[in-house]
Amino acid sequence: MLQHIVPASGLLFTLQNILWINIGVFIGAVFAAIPGLTVILCVILFLPVTYSMSAIPGMMFLLGIYCAGGYGGSVSAILINTPGTPHAAATMLDGHPLSKQGRTKAALKIALYASTFGGIFSALALLFLGPQVAKFAAQLGTPECFMVCVFGLTIIAGVSGKSMIRGIIAACLGLLISCIGSDPMTSYDRFTFGVGRLYLGLDLAVCLIGLFALVEIVGRAEKKPDELHMDTSKMRDNGVITKDEYKRMARPTILGSLIGVIVGIIPGTGASEASWFSYSQARNLSKHPEEFGHGSVEGVAASESANNAVTGATLIPLLTLGIPGDGTVAIMLSALMINGLNPGLSLFTTQGDIMYAIMLGLILVNVFMLLQGKVLTPIFAKVVSIPQEILTPIIVIFCFAGAYSVNKNYFDVAVALVFCVLAWLLRKLDMPPVPILLGLVLGKMTETNFRRALLISNGNPSVFFSSVYCWIFVGLIVLAVGTILRGKLREKKPQAAPAAKEE
Amino acid sequence: MKKQTFRRICLLLSLVMVMSCALSTTAFAAGETWTVTCPWAPDGVASLVSQKAASLSTEYSDDITLVAEAIKGDAATVNTWVLDNEAGDTGLVFVGEGLLSITATMDPAKMQFGYEDFAFVENLYSSVFVLSADAKLEINGIEDLKAFVEGAEEITVATNGATGSEAFLAAALFGSMGAGDALKLVPYQSAAEAAQAVSRGETDFAVSHQSQILETYNQGGVTVVCAFDEGPIENGPFAGVEGVGEYGYPYFRNRCFIMARAGTDEEKVAELKALYDDILADEEVVEWLHDTMLLEVDTMDVEAVEEHIANVKGIVEEYIDIVQPA
Repeated sequence: MLQHIVPASGLLFTLQNILWINIGVFIGAVFAAIPGLTVILCVILFLPVTYSMSAIPGMMFLLGIYCAGGYGGSVSAILINTPGTPHAAATMLDGHPLSKQGRTKAALKIALYASTFGGIFSALALLFLGPQVAKFAAQLGTPECFMVCVFGLTIIAGVSGKSMIRGIIAACLGLLISCIGSDPMTSYDRFTFGVGRLYLGLDLAVCLIGLFALVEIVGRAEKKPDELHMDTSKMRDNGVITKDEYKRMARPTILGSLIGVIVGIIPGTGASEASWFSYSQARNLSKHPEEFGHGSVEGVAASESANNAVTGATLIPLLTLGIPGDGTVAIMLSALMINGLNPGLSLFTTQGDIMYAIMLGLILVNVFMLLQGKVLTPIFAKVVSIPQEILTPIIVIFCFAGAYSVNKNYFDVAVALVFCVLAWLLRKLDMPPVPILLGLVLGKMTETNFRRALLISNGNPSVFFSSVYCWIFVGLIVLAVGTILRGKLREKKPQAAPAAKEE
Repeated sequence: MKKQTFRRICLLLSLVMVMSCALSTTAFAAGETWTVTCPWAPDGVASLVSQKAASLSTEYSDDITLVAEAIKGDAATVNTWVLDNEAGDTGLVFVGEGLLSITATMDPAKMQFGYEDFAFVENLYSSVFVLSADAKLEINGIEDLKAFVEGAEEITVATNGATGSEAFLAAALFGSMGAGDALKLVPYQSAAEAAQAVSRGETDFAVSHQSQILETYNQGGVTVVCAFDEGPIENGPFAGVEGVGEYGYPYFRNRCFIMARAGTDEEKVAELKALYDDILADEEVVEWLHDTMLLEVDTMDVEAVEEHIANVKGIVEEYIDIVQPA
């Protein structure tokens, strides 16, 4: 490795590369901050720009978009309670309440610092442990992936709000909706009712727009004009993060980064799963779980560090095994292949300098993301002081444009509206929308892996306990469920005590 | 508004304008712009080759600029394309045997179009699928495969998707070997996942494009058993691998037809074909297709296209019961 570092640095540290990194970071951050405009869409749009470039500047540009997109999604989640990208949904739970408390700049800064830490952590994992980690990831088969999904579903309890039953109902609804489209195992249609576009299933980004963004607008429409105006003059948002807050951020950030790397190396999973896993674990391990959902710095740090730690980790299977870790990375693979580079371990011997330049470049991308983020944070923070009568129509335009742009089809705009109505009805019934999102994120993956594992084992359920990795995940599931139950019992005790006194 | 904020906003706007100018130079060019819609994954083989061809279009034509776009959606995307485009419109779309032979036979209701709705321009590439086996099985050729099939109670094959070209090739091979009843197709979400599945022993075999199994093969996880072609693979990392056609088993190649809307001016279609032919004859493109993508340049005429569609249709009709049992 060391023999490649010096020549790789020479290839990386050019004005052209630094310029492209910065352009990519800027575009990624701004694009992802707009609801509906996902990172994957941004990478697809700008991919042709890289075809006239050589491999390193092309990859630097795309990595800039990819990493900054991870952070950018949190901006709108914090500012307007609408995640710019699906993986920023967990950040919204605490980021927006922090903003409402008049701490917009601080929330944006926490997201930025956690994102940068997660990004650099995963870039170092890629640089030093890439091939070893990839070999471990290659061992994880269908039953192990199913166990990961089940572990993911335990998060529902943590995001169910006041009633776990309501959370489970909402999650089941999400799982049911995820079944719409072609059956992944047989290609038969399910719940399509003869509607052509439904064969493809529903796009997560489109559902997200309806579930969180449009319903927020409808919610505002129900309020009186006086209630809408936030008195920002009284808010002294100096953006300061206290020493105590830094201390509290440390553990969830490190743990989140680790979770992000582990989730990222498993093909088929991505930043959304990582941020929810991390958020859930941070809540379970926190000394102040009651703050989660009400503006916890730990919550923001946990989800943001995890979703950015995925960026380097998804590159591990790509660069070492030629397997893209997620959809965005799969598209970035094109930038390498168009330059005649077929990723894999063999490329480390034939084109080692280029491979190490890309890996070192990922660290550089995160550094520039931090620098640009510091400049952009005060500008982003101004959004909360824009009058609602100006901001609301802009958000609506972005929502519809975002929904349309996913597949360049008006059908998706209609889907977003349907999800808006659904979310509004659920709001009236006091049902949380986040478990629906979790069901949508994990639904297809859970079902596909479950059915495929049973297909391979001829219906024998012992396949789910067939490897040591399966048992590790079983242990984690038991631990997670145990922690949830303990937490629920703790919550009940203080309620039971006053009741006993009254008697 | 504070001066500092105003300056920041000005700086931001200037940055956006500079970047927009720089990017727009690649987006706008002289002459007619033809949008080439790829209805499959943006990271797939077809989209990648389309992007490469589009990036070279201005080098070979002053009148036509090709702009590649990928809208994943298969039949749904082509349905929309057919509705949105009329004869003479500057739009091209990809269709292959997957739509014209497989979906047309298995699920025609999904398609609001037929072959007659298109005017054939050119075939973008030709790809030979290969059958790879878990290295532990030590199956290195068709004779080994025959021996394995004779003694096997169950044969598992990993494929990309449940009813794609890969599934039908596996069904045709094992079906014609008399092992259709023992065959179990295990669908994965991508070719990369299928390749990994066979290398860790989750399935016995996998069917994939050559480029999609190359890295797994290089790392010793799989052996490449045979190619779904008439004769052996002639060059590249899998040179010498036997073709199933040598043993009389059915096969087809994966092809990607570039289509204009039916009724488009024949001269324009010929001009587009000539442009694609020039691009595909470019040495850099040939080398790239060959060495990196492990594909072949395979320009075709309408008769060859129709023959290909009919051949695949025949295979689908014969082996549909294995792929999708009633």
